[in-house]
Amino acid sequence: MKKPEKLIENGKRLDGRVPDEMRPLKIEAGILERADGSAYVELGANKVLAAVYGPREMHPRHRQQPDTAVLRCRYNMAPFSVDERKRPGPDRRSVEISKVTREALESVLFLELYPRSVIDVFIEVLQADAGTRTAGINAASVALADAGVPMRDMVSSIAVGKIDDTIVLDLTKDEDQWGTTDMPIAMVPRKKLVTLLQMDGHFTKEEFGQALGLAFKACEQIYGIQRQALREKYAIKQEK
Amino acid sequence: MLYVQNRELVVPGQLIAEGGYNVREGAFREGKQVYASVVGLAELRGQDIRIIPLQGRYIPKPGDVVIGVVVDSYYSGWILDINSPYTGNLFVSDLLLRKVDLVREDISQYLSMGDVVVAKVKDVNERMRVQLEAGEPGMGRVKGGKLVEISPAKVPRVIGRKGSMLNTLQDVGECKLRVGQNGRIMIWGKNPRMINAVVEALLMIEREAHISGLTDRVHLMLEKIKSEGGE
Amino acid sequence: MYEIVSSVRRDYIADLAREGKRIDTRTMDQFREVSVEVGPIKSAQGSALVKVGKTQVVAGIKVEHAEPFPDKPDNGMLVVNAELLPLASPTFEPGRPSENAIELARVVDRGIRESNAIDLDKLVIKSGEDVWAVFIDIYVLDHDGNLIDASALAAIAALLNAKPPEDEAWTLPEFPIHKRPVAVTVAKINSKLMIDPCLDEEGVMDARITIATIEDGSICAVQKGGIGCFSREELEQAYEMARAEGAELRAKLG
Repeated sequence: MKKPEKLIENGKRLDGRVPDEMRPLKIEAGILERADGSAYVELGANKVLAAVYGPREMHPRHRQQPDTAVLRCRYNMAPFSVDERKRPGPDRRSVEISKVTREALESVLFLELYPRSVIDVFIEVLQADAGTRTAGINAASVALADAGVPMRDMVSSIAVGKIDDTIVLDLTKDEDQWGTTDMPIAMVPRKKLVTLLQMDGHFTKEEFGQALGLAFKACEQIYGIQRQALREKYAIKQEK
Repeated sequence: MLYVQNRELVVPGQLIAEGGYNVREGAFREGKQVYASVVGLAELRGQDIRIIPLQGRYIPKPGDVVIGVVVDSYYSGWILDINSPYTGNLFVSDLLLRKVDLVREDISQYLSMGDVVVAKVKDVNERMRVQLEAGEPGMGRVKGGKLVEISPAKVPRVIGRKGSMLNTLQDVGECKLRVGQNGRIMIWGKNPRMINAVVEALLMIEREAHISGLTDRVHLMLEKIKSEGGE
Repeated sequence: MYEIVSSVRRDYIADLAREGKRIDTRTMDQFREVSVEVGPIKSAQGSALVKVGKTQVVAGIKVEHAEPFPDKPDNGMLVVNAELLPLASPTFEPGRPSENAIELARVVDRGIRESNAIDLDKLVIKSGEDVWAVFIDIYVLDHDGNLIDASALAAIAALLNAKPPEDEAWTLPEFPIHKRPVAVTVAKINSKLMIDPCLDEEGVMDARITIATIEDGSICAVQKGGIGCFSREELEQAYEMARAEGAELRAKLG
């Protein structure tokens, strides 16, 4: 697709959304049988699966921490998840995302309750349309809760950016590609603490503040959907 | 001030109460507020707040009866997988309840790899090293029967108040059960159809542990299968 | 990492097998419930999500330009890759494909290639320089046994669902797929043959044999796995089971 003339026209974006509108978000908890906890997230056209194993025995032994569990995170994209087939295996981008995802989740977990063990989080992107790392974090939070890992709160995540000099929420692939700024954020909603923040592009100080405000509001919404997904897993069975 | 009701389903980060309550498992305190740390059912008794988790791995504590599988051995004992992030260690002297002359005796005659063992958690140290013992009557190597694994969080429901669910399973199901706190359950019985019925009942308990009236539903389900008797 | 099967479970399954029974009350020639959902992944040219009991596998097709093999200048390419994702089982570790992942991919590949299900010679753009490569990526999401059959079914379902790439170099009216190879795996436990081993059965089986057949009952791929062995009679019995069940599974492809 060639770069469109405008990315926002009459207040509407390419997909019809207004600037502070998120794409439709759907979350389902506990969809895998073998994993200790799991969650499936659809954010617009993104389809992301997260699974948690743990706490479990940590191998190799020398990596065990005597007084705490270790959190390991792997973000991975399926070869068929993007337009041009991606070769299987971690690339540099996946390695970086795995790291910042782990750092976004770690502080809410009560890791000290499980010395010498490991908690593994696996995030698989089945279909991508920008914002996969934010969808991944939303899924991972739910998967961790689904696994029964004690946590202080969920972690909710969304991206903000700038297209045609307008601050917008939750960029699509096209907006990310043709826009000027992309900033994924993750936060602990209850205390409004940011645990992931990355930005590439350009923001003035005011724009940055505006973007943060948009993100915080969206994360509140996401938080509600995450908690609802966990409740629904048990509610459906109640109706039977 | 309480913000949830007894037996309400809560999620991590949810505000449970404010004030001077005793915070037991599944919850934590931040200043004056008490929040849930797991997905579970709130249990509010007097000043105690506890969240019964609906999911989670088994973490051994002393006194627990567990069902383990031998995964390794060394000259004076065995390592057991107890369905936990932590393995259990069983010395041969804690199995036989006597001193063993390791020069004369070959301990592999007592347990081999893959053997299923009913044991009790003797001790857990701060590094989570777990010591097991299996000398009491009714413990030790298991022969025959069917081994089932369910979520350890649902084990209290399998036992029920004053053992009511367990009695139902054994009486109506015509089987003998040994329940490990670690989510593993041994079933012995003469009738394979009833053994399968008890397995179905255990899976039903696992799915519906958070819904009341479960003991009656299990009773009904087992009665139905029993009355459909005849191959 | 490997999982230790307890002696109790091993004995229980073996005892049941002796009586011609199975741990989940299926008969020896009964497959678990199979569901095939086509097209869940829009970023792929074709895709399918297959569930066999609790096992879940998704396959995605990507079609791209490629240079042909020097000795096959007039043939498109078929590449099958399988990932045993760590999220599918506590025993799967991240990293390079294990021998199980590679075997899985190669068996699925054989079924499709040897049956000539895809007319690779129609996938030429410019002889010797530019051809279409069909990538089938198999993603195992949840492992409850019999990944080969689930993966093979997902692969063929995805191919049948494939739409041509949005590329002016594509000149064919539709995707050139003309056969439906279906793989069926038979496990041997205590001298009894049973179809579609679930996870517990895989843990105790002596051996397994996977047979892929096409519409006319002819065989396009066979793979024996496990350290046990099969007698001639057992192989013939397994073929009959695979052919019959293959037809049933093929019907699910629509």
